Amino acid sequence: MAYLKNEALIDIATFLAKRWSENINTSVEFSDKNIVITKINTNKIILPTITKYAGNDFQKYRQFRTMLWYCAMRLRFCEKILSDDHAFGFILNTIETRRIEILGRRIWNGMDDELVFNYAYIWNYRPILNNVYNKVRIVEAFHQYFIIGDVKGEMSSSHFQKIIDATKYSNKILEEAINNNYGTKWLEKKIPDIIKILDIDSLLTIPIQVKNRNNNLITDNHILQTIIKISNKKQYSENYNEKIFKGRRISEEYKNIIEENIKNENKKIYANEIGIKIPSVDDEDETSIRDVDLINRLKIKFKKLKINLKEEFANVGDEFDFDSYLDKHKPFFLDNITSIKTKIMILLDHSSSIAKNRLEYKKATLALCEVLSYLRIRFSIYAFNTTNKEITCWLIKSDDSKWDDVSARRLSKIEANGGTPLAEVYTKMKSMLYLKKPDIFLTLTDGEPTDPDAVRNAIRSFKLSNIRMAAIGLGYNTLHVITIANNLKMLGYEKILAVSKVNDITDKILNILDKK
Amino acid sequence: MSAINNSELVEHVEYIDWNNSMTLLKKAYDAKLFVLIIGPKGTGKTTLVRKFAPIIHRKLDSINFSLRTRESHLIGSKTLIDGSVSFIDGILVRSMKNGSMLYLDEINSAEADVLLRLDEALDDRRQIVLKESTGETIKSHDNWFVMATINPLTHIGTKELPPQLISRFPVRIKLDYPPEDIELKIIQKYLTENHDEDVKQGIKLANTLRQAASVEELYYAPSLRETIAYGKMLDSGIDKKEAAYLIFGNVYTQWGNIEYQKVNDIITSMF
Repeated sequence: MAYLKNEALIDIATFLAKRWSENINTSVEFSDKNIVITKINTNKIILPTITKYAGNDFQKYRQFRTMLWYCAMRLRFCEKILSDDHAFGFILNTIETRRIEILGRRIWNGMDDELVFNYAYIWNYRPILNNVYNKVRIVEAFHQYFIIGDVKGEMSSSHFQKIIDATKYSNKILEEAINNNYGTKWLEKKIPDIIKILDIDSLLTIPIQVKNRNNNLITDNHILQTIIKISNKKQYSENYNEKIFKGRRISEEYKNIIEENIKNENKKIYANEIGIKIPSVDDEDETSIRDVDLINRLKIKFKKLKINLKEEFANVGDEFDFDSYLDKHKPFFLDNITSIKTKIMILLDHSSSIAKNRLEYKKATLALCEVLSYLRIRFSIYAFNTTNKEITCWLIKSDDSKWDDVSARRLSKIEANGGTPLAEVYTKMKSMLYLKKPDIFLTLTDGEPTDPDAVRNAIRSFKLSNIRMAAIGLGYNTLHVITIANNLKMLGYEKILAVSKVNDITDKILNILDKK
Repeated sequence: MSAINNSELVEHVEYIDWNNSMTLLKKAYDAKLFVLIIGPKGTGKTTLVRKFAPIIHRKLDSINFSLRTRESHLIGSKTLIDGSVSFIDGILVRSMKNGSMLYLDEINSAEADVLLRLDEALDDRRQIVLKESTGETIKSHDNWFVMATINPLTHIGTKELPPQLISRFPVRIKLDYPPEDIELKIIQKYLTENHDEDVKQGIKLANTLRQAASVEELYYAPSLRETIAYGKMLDSGIDKKEAAYLIFGNVYTQWGNIEYQKVNDIITSMF
């Protein structure tokens, strides 16, 4: 893959999966393994990283997008998903895939072209029957014939007759399920009939060779020819093979993702150049640090700070107020937008002392970011820890990007480890600070820096550049809080706050921001 | 300026009472209990009120609140007529005197001082002292009836209603977006041709965007007005996908390219 990173896909993939599945709790993750998993109980979709698909970047994206759609449809329409390690589950999932596709297309019929395109790849990913042995060959042949209407390779006529009979029966029960709105459990009861027709054991093990995509050499010509073959067999609304192959319907969407991806990459390159890293979040799940109650509580508490219109009277203006004039007040009125204008840069201490309260600390900091984003405050957030005996500064969210699931996952990913060498951290942050020029640079820490004199010098130099230096001390009780606050004061911060409860962090920070 | 439609003539209004609101309003009216209708924009709150006024045979006086609404709009003000100073009643005083149905639209957009005067008139005594004029006390007509609407707090410019004012409206009707089949019936009333399948898709799209907006993943939720507009565009011969972009998609450009693209992706998947 040239440059399309999974990270650029998470935001759009999560958004689409939530809308397609009609489930706001749906989350999307990537896995290095070449597997697709849909977890109904946890509303989680796990997809292979985009590099696992064949074709060029756009073709990979299209397959990824369609795979995501199928998973979202599973969340929407399946009652259960069995493992496809054995013939029983494999056959049920095969029929279920078609059922959810039919139901899904009733709403999302703009997916038709993409489904045909995806089938072209599916067909090319399937193994040739001659390479599949024993009764697994029958199961694979059934899968191919049911899904595409054809088989790859050769098989005996007696076996092929079984495939035709099983497919005929499967289509019949599928139609019955669709017409009568029967779900997975009803279909599951019919699977033994198919197993019987195919004359196989329901516990027959399905090898990886059959379950996974095989990265056969697939050329554009292969795909185009397969599209023609499939669109002739299937009844889709449109049948323009060349158009399906080119995928113009989603090319604009892809173009935008690439643009975002380039922007992200440029930020990464710049951050790397100045010694700041960005955590990779492919397999990270942020749900454990997302405290929805806390977030909602804080949002309700601070909603008054959200952009609001405030009327003010003046001696000059465009709009004249007659009543005010009669009352001998200033007769012109102006609507002023009140909001928090302060640009803030936040640095989170992730030294080892945070580790014991890691979860609460992350929940509180994630809630803080959610509230700042909700109030549309321009903020950037960084963290530092020690990895491989080296101080690392991590970029969680830059000031010109939106707070989203990717940022939350980055926050979740950072391990609490090492000491608090603040001066070293400030040195690493220096070029970013001078470039971004935040109004306030706020450090959240729970301990004394290991290099206080150097920290004092760094703070002094930042203050000379008109950056307000603030710090929040986290203590485990009142006495500890007072000690930390005193230590921070000695370091020369202009504004010092201290809390013993992590959930108070948001209150304290919002109180120091200017409301204009 | 706040739009004030004095003595609004009640015209023929199409309304489908899908959640039995009309019956609830009638019961509240019979019990002389004022009503607060709560719901997002474009869910038919105003249409419901306009339809209800002729049912109870009352004239409708309505006022749409905004930052620009002054006490004087409600109470009245002194003015010079034929060389003498006279006091012209505001809409609240006039409605109290005439016993009309007073409709206070988007009451939570008003400033605190305006709400205070309203509170005075709406308490159990149903009277107001005209301190702006001669200081006389105006008592409301026996049949005076008041209904107010509020938008959810997520709407820009809206504020929380003070608790004492909320208590003046003991009957609270929640009016949300109608179910898909009802929304279809409502839209059908505005169309000359049958576009049922395409309209259903438009409603589905609107509901998808409403769901995303409800969890703040999008900044804007399309209203019933927009689904009606979508139907009208279909009626005018525009292709369903193009109509979807025109009515539902393009508006999101004002929140940036990513927001716009997300909605476009949904439209592409649907049409």
